Amino acid sequence: MSQMLLPGAILLPLVFAALVALLPQERARSLALVGMLISAIPVLGLLFSFDYAHAADFQFAGSMQWIAEFGLEVSVGIDGVSLLLIALTGLLGPLCVLGSWTAIKDRTRLFFTWLLILQAAMIGVFAARDLLVFYVCFEFTLVPMFILINVFGSTNRKAAAIKFFIYTFTGSMIALAGLVYLAMHTADAIGHWTFALDDLMLHASTMSGTEQAWVMAAMLAGFAVKVPLFPFHTWLPLAHTEAPTAGSVILAGVLLKLGTYGIYRFVLGFVPLAVVEHAPLLATLSIIGIVYAGLICWVQTDVKKLVAYSSVSHLGFCVLGLVAVNTTGLSGSVLYMLNHGLSTGALFLLIGFMYERYHTRDMGQIGGLAAKMPVWASFMVFFTMASVGLPGLNGFISEFLCLLGTFQSSFGLAAGDANPGATPGALGPWFALFAATGMVIAAIYLLYMVGKVVWGPLVEPEGHDDSHTGLPIDLSAREITTLMPLAIACLVFGLYPKPLMQAIEAPVNSVVASYELEAPAATIEHAEPHDSGASEPEADH
Amino acid sequence: MLEVLAQGAFAEPMASITLAHYLVLSGAMFVLGLVGFVTRRNLIIMFLCTEMMFQASGLALVAFARYSMNLDGQTFVIFVLTVAAAEAAMGLALVVLLFRKQESLSAEVWNQLKG
Amino acid sequence: MLDLAPIAMTLAADSPAAVASAPAWVMLIPAMPMIGVVLCTLMSIMGVRSKLPAFVTVACLAVSFLLTVFMFTGHSEGWATAVGWEWLHYSWGDGNGQNFTANFAFAVDGLTILWMLFVTGLATLIALYASEYMATDVGQGYNRFFIAFNLFVFSMACLVMGSNLLMLYLGWEGVGLCSYLLIGYYYKKPEAVAAAKKAFIVNRIGDVGLALGVYLAFVHFGTIEYTELFASEKLQGYLHDAAEGHWSHIPWQASAIPLFLMVGAFGKSAQLPLYVWLPDAMEGPTPVSALIHAATMVTAGVYLIARTYPLFQVSEIALPIVAWVGTLTALLAATIGMAQFDIKRIMAYSTVSQLGYMFAGLGVMTSVGAGFHVLTHAFFKALLFLACGAVMHGFAGQLDLRKLSGLWKVPGWRIVTIGMFVGCLNLAGFPLTAGFFSKDMILAEAFVTPGFALIGWILLFTAGLTAYYTFRVFFRVFVGPVEYHAGDDHHGDDHAHDDSHGDDHDAGHGFHPHAPGWAINFVLATLAVCSIVAAGLYFIGDHGWVAGMIHDSTAHIDPHGDEAGGSHGSAALFGLDPHKAMYYISSVVGIVGIIFAYAFHLHGRKSAGEAPAADAFKAALGPIPRWAENKWYVDELYQFLFRGPLLVLSHIFRYVDMLLVDGLVNLMGWLPYAVGGRLRRGQDGVLQSYAASMAGGLALFLLVILLLVNQSA
Repeated sequence: MSQMLLPGAILLPLVFAALVALLPQERARSLALVGMLISAIPVLGLLFSFDYAHAADFQFAGSMQWIAEFGLEVSVGIDGVSLLLIALTGLLGPLCVLGSWTAIKDRTRLFFTWLLILQAAMIGVFAARDLLVFYVCFEFTLVPMFILINVFGSTNRKAAAIKFFIYTFTGSMIALAGLVYLAMHTADAIGHWTFALDDLMLHASTMSGTEQAWVMAAMLAGFAVKVPLFPFHTWLPLAHTEAPTAGSVILAGVLLKLGTYGIYRFVLGFVPLAVVEHAPLLATLSIIGIVYAGLICWVQTDVKKLVAYSSVSHLGFCVLGLVAVNTTGLSGSVLYMLNHGLSTGALFLLIGFMYERYHTRDMGQIGGLAAKMPVWASFMVFFTMASVGLPGLNGFISEFLCLLGTFQSSFGLAAGDANPGATPGALGPWFALFAATGMVIAAIYLLYMVGKVVWGPLVEPEGHDDSHTGLPIDLSAREITTLMPLAIACLVFGLYPKPLMQAIEAPVNSVVASYELEAPAATIEHAEPHDSGASEPEADH
Repeated sequence: MLEVLAQGAFAEPMASITLAHYLVLSGAMFVLGLVGFVTRRNLIIMFLCTEMMFQASGLALVAFARYSMNLDGQTFVIFVLTVAAAEAAMGLALVVLLFRKQESLSAEVWNQLKG
Repeated sequence: MLDLAPIAMTLAADSPAAVASAPAWVMLIPAMPMIGVVLCTLMSIMGVRSKLPAFVTVACLAVSFLLTVFMFTGHSEGWATAVGWEWLHYSWGDGNGQNFTANFAFAVDGLTILWMLFVTGLATLIALYASEYMATDVGQGYNRFFIAFNLFVFSMACLVMGSNLLMLYLGWEGVGLCSYLLIGYYYKKPEAVAAAKKAFIVNRIGDVGLALGVYLAFVHFGTIEYTELFASEKLQGYLHDAAEGHWSHIPWQASAIPLFLMVGAFGKSAQLPLYVWLPDAMEGPTPVSALIHAATMVTAGVYLIARTYPLFQVSEIALPIVAWVGTLTALLAATIGMAQFDIKRIMAYSTVSQLGYMFAGLGVMTSVGAGFHVLTHAFFKALLFLACGAVMHGFAGQLDLRKLSGLWKVPGWRIVTIGMFVGCLNLAGFPLTAGFFSKDMILAEAFVTPGFALIGWILLFTAGLTAYYTFRVFFRVFVGPVEYHAGDDHHGDDHAHDDSHGDDHDAGHGFHPHAPGWAINFVLATLAVCSIVAAGLYFIGDHGWVAGMIHDSTAHIDPHGDEAGGSHGSAALFGLDPHKAMYYISSVVGIVGIIFAYAFHLHGRKSAGEAPAADAFKAALGPIPRWAENKWYVDELYQFLFRGPLLVLSHIFRYVDMLLVDGLVNLMGWLPYAVGGRLRRGQDGVLQSYAASMAGGLALFLLVILLLVNQSA
């Protein structure tokens, strides 16, 4: 029974996608909702039958031979981190359907079919235990998202969809090259082809520092674009602005996390030498992203674009936590993946609800909506605060841990009795200090947004008529139902993150454990100018 | 004649005709066909020119086959002829269709694939 | 949510210091306001349109206050902790410091009790006051107000009672949020929205400092739980070194912690250079100004420093910096306050100034004086604000002291006037008032601490200014000839009052001030009594009741503090015991200030708008009063130095992003397109040219082969 949960979670959305595609147009959205809810059942099953005491082990594992002579097989399995990301995906799926209930009026069948397929692909990425499944699912998420943006987006949707597809696809191709190199290296070492992640991880660390740097550069080409890490972020604001609400929610909520998850699972797992060597560079890029994207948010006029840029800024913290490679930073980063999905997903939903009523996202044309839509405004303020990182709400825990992890991760502060809280790492207080300015900037731009849209004198677009939308003036029960689970999750995980930490701590510690062995080696390498010079190739392409 | 060919040697009166002669003839035919194809605008003429190039290659194949004394080349020629026949049928039919569309046999009126 | 949590007790097993477990009901102190939040939210959802939320709030807070009193009476020496639930806990090893623990837990000691007593007590009273003050907004706005009000008390309780630095941080930002929501309560007014935003952002700058301080404290000491942190041998060792004067034995990590923490304190308590948000925060409803921006939240910075006093003592420069920042803030804010005309703003600047005194007190090592001043200030400043609020409420938002006069003689305004008078006496440091004693403790300590005499003189001078501007308000507004003009707004509330506007605008005669009702009068009277009675606390126990509370906390001064010039050591001022000397000096200074105020603003004043003596003196000073009225252009300076450049930078980044970063991406996309565009010219669609190029290609190919064959041959 429990063996069927994981395949069930992946395949059920596909089954329902087929049903939605085959049955008549009018039933599409209710069928999609039912499909999403039923697909969430195995995800719930996973959550409940997961053995949290052994969260670092890959549970519910299963594999199937495909082409034995090439070592190709289909294998799945999840540890605590994957579990939580799958749960996030399972939660956002039904909410996306609910959020698009009235927004998508034409070609609903097409929309919901692809939404369900996307759901399956995303769960597949997180469940993958071999390169084949991972890469196929990773790439396959592009197709549904391309269609969602291209067909259902707003005015500039074609350009946005093409840019999104080509940019991320190009990156992924290079990542594939890196991953295949890794597989070749492993094949050389053990004499036959294999793509199982465990085998790859075992042999990847035997690569030389230079090889690792190149492999990391290749993998980052794929993952950094997806995250997106500065300066590879420009597709994101465009895609977010043009995408339909559900598309934005999924894009911000889960698709971006594929990038950070990739960095967590592959970059950190496979090329530790290169990570330690180039962590300062990556951290610098993250910090530039935090500050730069944050400041850009401040001068946006399009509220959706503002939130899109805020994702760039926020995910800078997430990557920063990852490259701190200590328990604090990694836990914070994984939590960040979840929390950003919840709060930013909710912000996109809220903006979508507003857009449905006013057909504009221009902050010059709308303002002071608190006077007219108090419930909407309350949710808006709530999720903004979650996004700002207010303690007591979820965003705080992750931001705090990412920064603390960065602060701790320092060779400069000698660990041990002198600084018992310090851990080996290549960052340190200065990185934390600069990144922490992002906290102020986040407050600046998010309060700027709230100040314009929620507070102030009521401004509505010219010729706006409430009766035209066919929606109530304030949020409908359906819309509140969409937001409530996210709000509850934000509050509960802000005050009681223990269930999440239980799932995260052990896997994260097992990743960090591999670094404690690496760290001294890396310092030695640092000391040798030749070697570090040779492996200097820019890690950011 | 066939008997002689099968024996693997040219008859005495023809001994002075070497492989090179055949190849020169074949090359000349091929070049004539090519030049015709490139310079003429009439679709039917161009089509005939391609046939000529086909036959040139066939001739070369036969000559080489005879020269190296195995039958592979001959077999190929049979294939080529068959294909050429089929092609002629299709090609001429296409030419007729094209003519019906544009009332002209000039190749220049068909340039829709311009980049 | 708290009541659902598993309630557990902790008996700090590894800490030798006296850590008892507090009874579980102390957690009800923060829980009651949280229940208030939930109830008010439910009422908001149900659309209650009555004063019910106010009374629920008062009830919840009163219970909270009573529990605090029980906590006080039941408390004995040392720490007592109560753990709600495990908030954040993870580990990466078994060694010391290789785990991060921050429980949702509460720790109680004297400092906590001191703060909680006035926080919950004042919150209850002010909620009662607000029930009447906010009555025009009954309905959605009223509910919203009390939700945020309760949430504020909850956050403040977490800040003060939390058992670790992360709980403090939770409360710290929580009160910031509530401050934001309540300043922006009249959200239709753009100024209110801007002020709210400014408050939050400026505080956020401080919060970054606090966060970094917490990080460094964790990294260096391996814990952020108070009970473990302050008892740690490492810290005790540093304190010993500091007492011996061996500053070089203390690593920079330890002495940098207070430097970060104080940034947070400066932000929250509106000290230089981060004070600019507090005067603007007066856009909020007056009960909010009284509770949050005068009595409680702004003292959080003082609490932070007092709580982490041992950390501050291990840095050679931290406390002197605090002292100087406090002193300069006190002076600067007092000079601005003297030139303002909006009585609520005057009170705001006086708050900044008085907070400066508290910081100076902490800086000169009299945590008792600072704590006592926090307590007395909480009462009399709340009283002053609420009296101003009553005026604002009654005169349709009028706050300009040039447009109000002689309220004493207006029917129904006696209690307000008396309350104001008591508050002013306290603030001016009139002899034998509570404010007098608490200010004196700080002044005396400044004079006797070596190297801080200049601070003492500046603070003494500031005390004179304080007395002047305080009584300037009193003499202008509450006594003298009767004259009043209504303000032009009904505090921009949710519900339109357009019908009542029309004729209220300028005329004094057509307007009937709306005298305060029982709730406001009751609260004012209670606070006035409290402010007077608070003076008595000075005479309880050895060095006053507050001293007893402070000594039972982390804020007590270590023995070396006394050596360095404790207030009861051998030091003397003008041949007298410093405190006695200070009584006389500051009495004189305060009374002189009041006399100046009388001479300028009451003597010979015939109308509300014109005070001949003051106006003549002002003219004699040239442009200085105008500069002071414009707040010495500090806001403009910040705009020019920080906000402006940052905004310009943002615009530059936006264009860089559009043109350069995205431009490069688009260039990469455009390159294949451009190359293809060139190549496609070859595709002319003419059959013959394709054939020709095929032939050419073939020829070329053959030629190459020929050459290769020749070469190899």
